[in-house]
Amino acid sequence: MPFLFLFKKGIIMDKSKRINKNKVISFIPKLILVVVLLLIINLKLTQTQVYGALELGLIYSILALGIFISLRILDIPDLTVDGSFTLGVAVSVIFAYNGHPFIGIVAAIAAGAISGIVTGALQTKLNVQPILAGIITLTALYSINLHIMDGNPNISLWKKETIFTYFQGKLPEGVPYKIIVAAGILLIAVVFIYWFLNTQLGMAIRATGDNEYMVRASSINSDRMKIIGFAIANGFVALSGGVIAQYQSYGDANGGTGMLVAGAASIIIGEVFFGKHTIVSCILSSVVGAIAYRFILSFAISIGMEAMDFKLFSAIIVALAICVPTIKKMATRTYRRMKDKGGNASA
Amino acid sequence: MLKLNDVNITFNKGTVNERKALCEMNLHINKGDFVTVIGSNGAGKSTLMNAVCGSYEVDSGHILLAGKDVTRLREHQRAKYIGRLFQDPLKGTAPNMTIEENLGLAYGRGKKRTLAFGISKRDINVFREKLASLGLGLEDRMKTPVGLLSGGQRQALTLMMATIVTPSLLLLDEHTAALDPKTAGKVLEITNRIVKENNITTLMITHNIQNALEYGNRTLVLSQGKLLMDIEGERRENMTTEDLMKLYADSTDDVMSDKMILKS
Repeated sequence: MPFLFLFKKGIIMDKSKRINKNKVISFIPKLILVVVLLLIINLKLTQTQVYGALELGLIYSILALGIFISLRILDIPDLTVDGSFTLGVAVSVIFAYNGHPFIGIVAAIAAGAISGIVTGALQTKLNVQPILAGIITLTALYSINLHIMDGNPNISLWKKETIFTYFQGKLPEGVPYKIIVAAGILLIAVVFIYWFLNTQLGMAIRATGDNEYMVRASSINSDRMKIIGFAIANGFVALSGGVIAQYQSYGDANGGTGMLVAGAASIIIGEVFFGKHTIVSCILSSVVGAIAYRFILSFAISIGMEAMDFKLFSAIIVALAICVPTIKKMATRTYRRMKDKGGNASA
Repeated sequence: MLKLNDVNITFNKGTVNERKALCEMNLHINKGDFVTVIGSNGAGKSTLMNAVCGSYEVDSGHILLAGKDVTRLREHQRAKYIGRLFQDPLKGTAPNMTIEENLGLAYGRGKKRTLAFGISKRDINVFREKLASLGLGLEDRMKTPVGLLSGGQRQALTLMMATIVTPSLLLLDEHTAALDPKTAGKVLEITNRIVKENNITTLMITHNIQNALEYGNRTLVLSQGKLLMDIEGERRENMTTEDLMKLYADSTDDVMSDKMILKS
């Protein structure tokens, strides 16, 4: 970046304001991201694409919120997500197919919560390693999901009522009803999660991910807190799956593959903007990150990326984001070493 | 108050590394006692604490707390009655949560965690008052994440958390060992004051013999999982660190750890 040297030489920054230097520099990637996103939206995407990305982004925000609970609050990457997302899809599709789209959404949440309880119980009561516990539940869910979908790997809701078509009929013509429905559900989810994390129970769950010793010493059953945490996390994930299925009027038994990584990528993108210092910033990170992620994907498609590369793309984002601190350290070390060598040579 | 009847704990049972950590331990601590515990490394001090608070399950024997058999209760169930400080200041607090949130969690000790808001306005006033009594200026930093505090501040906060709901028993496992001498002294002073004010039955492990005699009203000396000496009353009052070390050297083959000699 050619303008970075301006900061280094103090041309822009007054010395007395040096404390703010770090803030300004950390602001740069945010600015670049925002500008790039706006450019994408303006130049590359049609209105339909913008709406589509926004709708998907809103729905996947719920997924990101669920993953935020397991990944950031409980500090455990929960692989159940890939299965519970499809579980939500399967349950929601079956109910909608039989004419009960709303019950389908509620049932999806409940089913997801149960799968979370299973993973939680495996981890805490039976001492299965966290990652392995997720994989076990995920694998079991493959079969269970297919059973729920009556053996069909995909079910179409063509001409069936969904929550989206229901509100389409209720709302006046020309209103972007899909965005309103998705945003409405997301709003409820966000309010719930903010409220819950500030209750006694929610605080106990947060503390469990932070310091288990302290939690047990405060007469809190840390095992139970983890199980509740996983239940809520996977309830959210399944809700997201259930809404997606009705949004697309289509349920696919393989739809959940890679959801954990996609959700984690969203959260990481969001954290570039808002950080992860308070609950509010974490929730904002999940929501905005998921929406930004969808726009990035739309953009990638518009410049010729194929849908089959999505997972590769999100895997690279997550891997890079996790590696950045190490890469930075390596770069600094190399830089110092080179500087030392240069110094010696001139001396 | 606290009673241990023939408590046994053996590590790595049935292997070459088998070690009796607590051996037929019998102990009776009265209500309001402030007991200090010393002994060399591996004497069973920490094992004793972990047995009382439930981190280790005892092989045989019984532990009674306030007349209630708690032997088979799990750690978090016993924590309703027991406040506890670890040697590592990082263990006692949740670093990513704020001071008030940490206190809020501790304030719910022994109560069911409900869906009511974690911290009420009234709670905050209580916390502020309590924190002010520490004299560390923490009352003005209630919204600061605990991870940003120093070790001494965190340990003082943990002490506050362990006693904010007065526990039946307070366990202090070398809670000042990881602090610099000055801070350690301050935390010990605060400990002593809180224990005295609330008349809390306390068990304090220390490596510092002088502290062991200076604080509290009774001193236990452990060696190889057994209670070697139980010193209280007038005998304890007249005892100097030299006396105690001599007594210790005479009655066991254990070498006093360097740490103890250096600190005494």
